[in-house]
Amino acid sequence: MTAQKHSDKKEILKARAHLLAQETPAADKSEDLVEVVVFRLADEHYAIESIRVREVYPIKELTPLPCTPPFVLGMINVRGQILTVIDLRRFFELPIKGLTDLNKVIILEHRESELGVLADAIIGVQSLCRQKIQPAPSILTGVRGKYLLGVAEAQLIVIDAARIMDDQAIVVREEVAGPSSP
Amino acid sequence: MVMTYPDEEFLGKLQAAFRGESEEHLLAISCGLLELEKSPDAPRRAEIIASIFRDAHSLKGAARAVNLPQIEMICQALESVFSAWKKRDVSADPELLDPLHRAVKTVEKLLPTAEGAPPPADHDELFRLQDELARLEVARPARPQEERSGRAAQARPADKIPAATSDEIQRSTGQASPPALAAPPQPAPESPQATPDQPPTDAAAASGATRRGSRDRGSHPRSTPVSPTLRIAAAKLDALLLHCEELLALKLNANQGASDLHGIAMTFTEWEKHWAALTSDVGNLRQLIAGGSGKKSGSMNKIDACLVPVSLAVRLLEFLEWNQSLIQSTEDHLRNFSKLADRHRHNTAARVDGLLDEAKRLLMLPFATLFAVFPKLVRELSRDIGKEVELRILGAETEIDKRILDDLKDPLIHLLRNSIDHGIERPERRITAGKPACGTIELAVSQADGNKVEILISDDGGGIDAAKVRTAAVRHGMLTQTEAEKLPAHQALALIFEPEVSTSEAVTEISGRGLGLAIVREKVEKLGGRVILETRPGLGTSFRLLLPLTLATFRGILVEVVQQVFVLPTANVQRVTSVRPEDVKTVEGREMIVLDNKTVSLVRLEDLLDLPRRSSREGVRFMPAVVVESADKRIAMRVDAVLSEQEVLVKPLGKPLERVRNIAGATVLGSGHAVPILNVTDLVKSAMRIRPAPLAAHISAPVEVRPRKSILVVEDSITARMLLKNILEGAGHRVKTAVDGVDAFAILRSEEFDLVVSDVEMPRMNGFDLTAAIRRHKRLGNLPVVLVTALASREDRERGADAGANAYIVKGSFDQSDLLEAVRRLV
Repeated sequence: MTAQKHSDKKEILKARAHLLAQETPAADKSEDLVEVVVFRLADEHYAIESIRVREVYPIKELTPLPCTPPFVLGMINVRGQILTVIDLRRFFELPIKGLTDLNKVIILEHRESELGVLADAIIGVQSLCRQKIQPAPSILTGVRGKYLLGVAEAQLIVIDAARIMDDQAIVVREEVAGPSSP
Repeated sequence: MVMTYPDEEFLGKLQAAFRGESEEHLLAISCGLLELEKSPDAPRRAEIIASIFRDAHSLKGAARAVNLPQIEMICQALESVFSAWKKRDVSADPELLDPLHRAVKTVEKLLPTAEGAPPPADHDELFRLQDELARLEVARPARPQEERSGRAAQARPADKIPAATSDEIQRSTGQASPPALAAPPQPAPESPQATPDQPPTDAAAASGATRRGSRDRGSHPRSTPVSPTLRIAAAKLDALLLHCEELLALKLNANQGASDLHGIAMTFTEWEKHWAALTSDVGNLRQLIAGGSGKKSGSMNKIDACLVPVSLAVRLLEFLEWNQSLIQSTEDHLRNFSKLADRHRHNTAARVDGLLDEAKRLLMLPFATLFAVFPKLVRELSRDIGKEVELRILGAETEIDKRILDDLKDPLIHLLRNSIDHGIERPERRITAGKPACGTIELAVSQADGNKVEILISDDGGGIDAAKVRTAAVRHGMLTQTEAEKLPAHQALALIFEPEVSTSEAVTEISGRGLGLAIVREKVEKLGGRVILETRPGLGTSFRLLLPLTLATFRGILVEVVQQVFVLPTANVQRVTSVRPEDVKTVEGREMIVLDNKTVSLVRLEDLLDLPRRSSREGVRFMPAVVVESADKRIAMRVDAVLSEQEVLVKPLGKPLERVRNIAGATVLGSGHAVPILNVTDLVKSAMRIRPAPLAAHISAPVEVRPRKSILVVEDSITARMLLKNILEGAGHRVKTAVDGVDAFAILRSEEFDLVVSDVEMPRMNGFDLTAAIRRHKRLGNLPVVLVTALASREDRERGADAGANAYIVKGSFDQSDLLEAVRRLV
């Protein structure tokens, strides 16, 4: 383990500690709390409701799939099950800049369908107050607003996973077109 | 932390369960109604009514539980009808049953879908239906009954019936309107008195049309499983449990093996103790020898003899002897263990295979589970277009893999629709042709040789006219007039499987979009089967589907192209061949080879898959090519390598990938890698689409002016590794990858490279250390190294330079042109 790797880890641990140190909103108003998984992708922090997260899986092998849209990075084998892995930045049509590590895949589940989303690092689990999630102006986040639940404190972008998985834009249904006219 | 489940989530789950349950009840009700229509004898009639009454009742209760009041309302009405009929034997003419069938259909429409909430219902229609059903409660009895007079009063009050519809209800129920009820005292008027060609009510026509409309929308219907829940014979489950119990033996074997190995490992702990006790002696001995050999004179033997104390020699000797016996016994242990492990492996294989077979058998379902809905479907479709069709089903008890059955649903419905719409003629025309007015469609399943099953769908209709197919093909520009005339009849008939060729002059709602048969063939071929068409003009048409019984025996050929592995289903592969450059002819810009005296077009697999073309294979004498066939078309595909053939287990791609061009699914190799399975039908179509290759034939092309470099990419993150590799390969370089510094250094020592591109932060050996190791190495010393890193500080940059890196690229501001520029500069 190198010093750099170490400092990177420290960074994550610090962020986790910060999360834990935050005052948990009053427990008696439990119905207003949303538990989220916080992760880092490029330079942004995102959150996904934890009821949509089946597991977090370290990605070791990724098979690219030809003939799919750019947001589909490929597929992985998770204990015998084939899962599609997507890059949220491409799905949101955010500018792709820099080179990221994308070593973790967050496996989402919603209505019998499952999907892997790549992340650079998992920061941790946190409870958010539903009221504190503010609608996000899309100029601020650059993410298309309809896929967001909103923005919480500390510029945490809360993603609406169900919305994404229900969206027709994510479904790939392509035939080979008829013969090209000679 | 508190989990909050929104109520709708929970309700959604309940409704999904309800969907499965209700489909079963609805199917039972419609089957019962269909049987009633065939006028069974009175005891059987009573039996059927009692059974569908129970179904309606259960469904009502379930609908209430999941808060679907509209379904509950219809079920309540159905229940009342059946309950009334239970008390009085009622004759069942088709007209009388129509509102009941419609009620079933309405409930189907109201079911919650997989996507969630049920579609909103038309309230007027519901009320109309409710009223119609209410009238049925007092329907004409089969035998005179005394209690009848009181019944009429129980009908819904007239004020609930919208004025405009009361007329329709009377028409739809024939003479079953209340005033007429008391009239016929004659026993059992079984034959319907209504004229058969009486138009259906507007409401029925409208609901029928929307249902068909929604079913036909979109040219590619999604295949839905036959049923989300399964009934499995108890005997099959017993057998499965038996096999599972046998796995206990494996568990015991594993325990035994673990404890044996543990025992062997323990002897080494003891050995270490002995050895440790001896270390001082060994040290002494070493010193004695070192001291002795330092002396100028005298042989070693002499020194040993006089200087080694006897006690030391004895201790060492004892240890050696003990050591020898320990090794001996360990050897025995290990040999025994190895034998045992062999036996366990054998056992495990046998039991796992047995269990797998049993589990597969669990998934074998009789065709009857799929065919159950067909009589109803045929009845509806034929009535809707004024034809009379009887469906005869044979061999429905044959069992087949559920996964195949699920995929057969759409093709079979397409073929049935096709027969009803295009095959069976109108009654008038049939009578003129000397056939019975009622057409027959036979759906026969039989087990062909070995692991094959044959499904025959035949009708006694008009057959397919080859001339009409030719005309249609010409009209769609698929053939010229002269080509069409020259085409032999059987080849002309094969054209009906092409998308867009449909022989029906009118596009109807039922079929005739021309896509149906193309989809049928595609789906059947995807399952590893074939479709054979036979037709005799004037006498009928039959479609023969030959299918495998299970999916398990699926074999695939592994091929490699641009360093990716793909599986081709062996069933679609005609042969694997190798092509010499001089065998390739160019015809109209397309490459062709001659196989069995026929020309076959030669395409690159990477072109079909839209993968970037890489590596001009200059100087290659033989190129492997795979010849595949689909829809009677053959193509030869060039690949980089044909790796092996093996059994593969087909897995679907994840949910959002409903259908991907050229890719049928995926499989997991023994190594754990997920590999795509190619869809040969699509590939052949894709091959027809790609543009002719530019005339500069790439095989004979001169060696590229700028020689390619070989580059080693070292990166622990898989995505970054793939990205770097793609960029460099895109620029024409040959790239190999390593996962960390240790891995990289091992590769560097055994192969020649022109450049190394490495990450800095990696496990085991980082990029700085790797660079330093390269600089220290005699042969590798001058190898250029580019570091790509997230560390942007000046100190890190200097550290990189100190280690001997030639370029330093920061990930945060990464741009592929920087990397390519650095590579260009350095090599």
